[in-house]
Amino acid sequence: MLQFDQVSKSYPGGFVALERINFRIAKGEMVFLTGHSGAGKSTILKLISMIERPSTGRVMINNIDLSRLKRSQIPYVRRDVGIIYQNHRLLMNHTVFDNVALPLVIEGFTGKEMVKRVHAALDKVGLLDKQRCLPQTLSGGEQQRVGIARAVVNKPPLLLADEPTGNLDPELSRDIMRVFEAFNQVGVSVLVATHDLGLIARMRYRTLTLKQGRMINDGLMPAPGVL
Amino acid sequence: MSILFSSRASGAKASRVNPIQRFVMFFVHHIRQAVFSLGELWRTPGSSLMTIAVLGLSLTLPTTLHLLVKNVQQISGGFAKAAEINLFIRDTATPQQVQSLKTILEADSQIAGVRHISKEAAMAEFREASGFGAALNYLTDNPLPDVLVVLPVHTEPAAARQLQQQLEKERIVEFAKLDLEWLQRLDALVLLLQQAVVAIGLLLLSAVLLIVSNTIRLSIINKRDEIEVMKLVGATDAFIQRPFLYTGLWFGVFGGLLAFLVTEALLWWLRGAIASISSLYQSDFQLQAMSLHEFGGLLLLAILLGVMGSYLSVRRHLRAIEPS
Repeated sequence: MLQFDQVSKSYPGGFVALERINFRIAKGEMVFLTGHSGAGKSTILKLISMIERPSTGRVMINNIDLSRLKRSQIPYVRRDVGIIYQNHRLLMNHTVFDNVALPLVIEGFTGKEMVKRVHAALDKVGLLDKQRCLPQTLSGGEQQRVGIARAVVNKPPLLLADEPTGNLDPELSRDIMRVFEAFNQVGVSVLVATHDLGLIARMRYRTLTLKQGRMINDGLMPAPGVL
Repeated sequence: MSILFSSRASGAKASRVNPIQRFVMFFVHHIRQAVFSLGELWRTPGSSLMTIAVLGLSLTLPTTLHLLVKNVQQISGGFAKAAEINLFIRDTATPQQVQSLKTILEADSQIAGVRHISKEAAMAEFREASGFGAALNYLTDNPLPDVLVVLPVHTEPAAARQLQQQLEKERIVEFAKLDLEWLQRLDALVLLLQQAVVAIGLLLLSAVLLIVSNTIRLSIINKRDEIEVMKLVGATDAFIQRPFLYTGLWFGVFGGLLAFLVTEALLWWLRGAIASISSLYQSDFQLQAMSLHEFGGLLLLAILLGVMGSYLSVRRHLRAIEPS
């Protein structure tokens, strides 16, 4: 499903964010991506969502090389990848409903079909009763869940999350992780970037560990102190 | 359309929508978009009104000048019909010769009418009009010639000039006089005025284009975050630019309407003054207002400028905004 093939990314000025990264994520797999801040987690997510392009190497989704796609095709790639951002990236002067409906409106949905899907997505994250609220009136955790609802509303086959539990308490983090697991169970591939090692240890999924732009571990994390 | 996952049903187009529904939805969508953009203008009344006012007033000047030219043309058109040719008859011609020439000319298809002013009639008129009444009695004979006043069918300067040259060849005609010069001068003046209007109009229209373009640029910058989010969830450039184009359209509509209202107010204000002038000249001159045609043209032009200005800005600035 998702494949990184000798991917390097260096920024102007010589900073190397990623160095020859190789990994594959199969269809229906759930994977964590971890490392200190600055290790290159966000860069990997940006390469997948085509915000950045790799300096060398290939990023492939479903065996299609993203670097071969034209600028005008980028929007269509982004529709196939649901992304949850650390800073939520919501439209602050639009209601929760409008925010979640945005990907559907972009794809041309209208009327009942759109409302049905938005309600289903909001129901999954438990925010159906807040659909008329503006994002400012919601707590951080609730805003995060609006972001999740927006990412899954058009049922993408691949879901990316950038620090989804960033500033949430453990209780809420666990809830949000359960939401991801639920999507994973219906066949969605999920890639969660986080530096919350405790969370990773508890969940026991395959974990990719980055250090200064290199992949230093791929597999289950040893969980010291847990179990 | 899904590029990455060929089996993935994506978008409303993939779900069961028949072509008629899709056709209807296309219009519904655009109308909704237009109404939404109108709402955006309503939410920022200050800057919207400013832009509309600048647009409207910039369009008012060319519109007013156009009406001015139109009215002047109407006046000069009235004068052109009076292009008569005066044939001054040689002293040696007998009254019979004059009469037969008149008959021949009356039969000519190029001539609408012929009027004979005899020496005596001319003298009587001159005596009355000039105020030399008593002095003229000292003349021993009448120095004035017989005159045939010919009204051509074709009153355009070129046609009239040709007829004049033709009539001058008649044997008993001393010379033919066509008072065209002042008419040509008036025509040249009108042409000059017309060209000035075009030049000023072009300048002001480009100003309008730049104003709309700049206003839209500001609103794009204001919505930078929103545009980034839309791009992140997969909006195409066409989708993002649509509301801005509709905003430009509304600027055009309201700017055009404002220009129309201001021009009408200006005409109404001038109407009184013009009526008193034309009554002094005993003329029944009527100031011509904007026709429905011209109003439609003005509105269309304004809308075109609004959309074009918006498009110029959208093309340049939307591309520059990329999420990071």
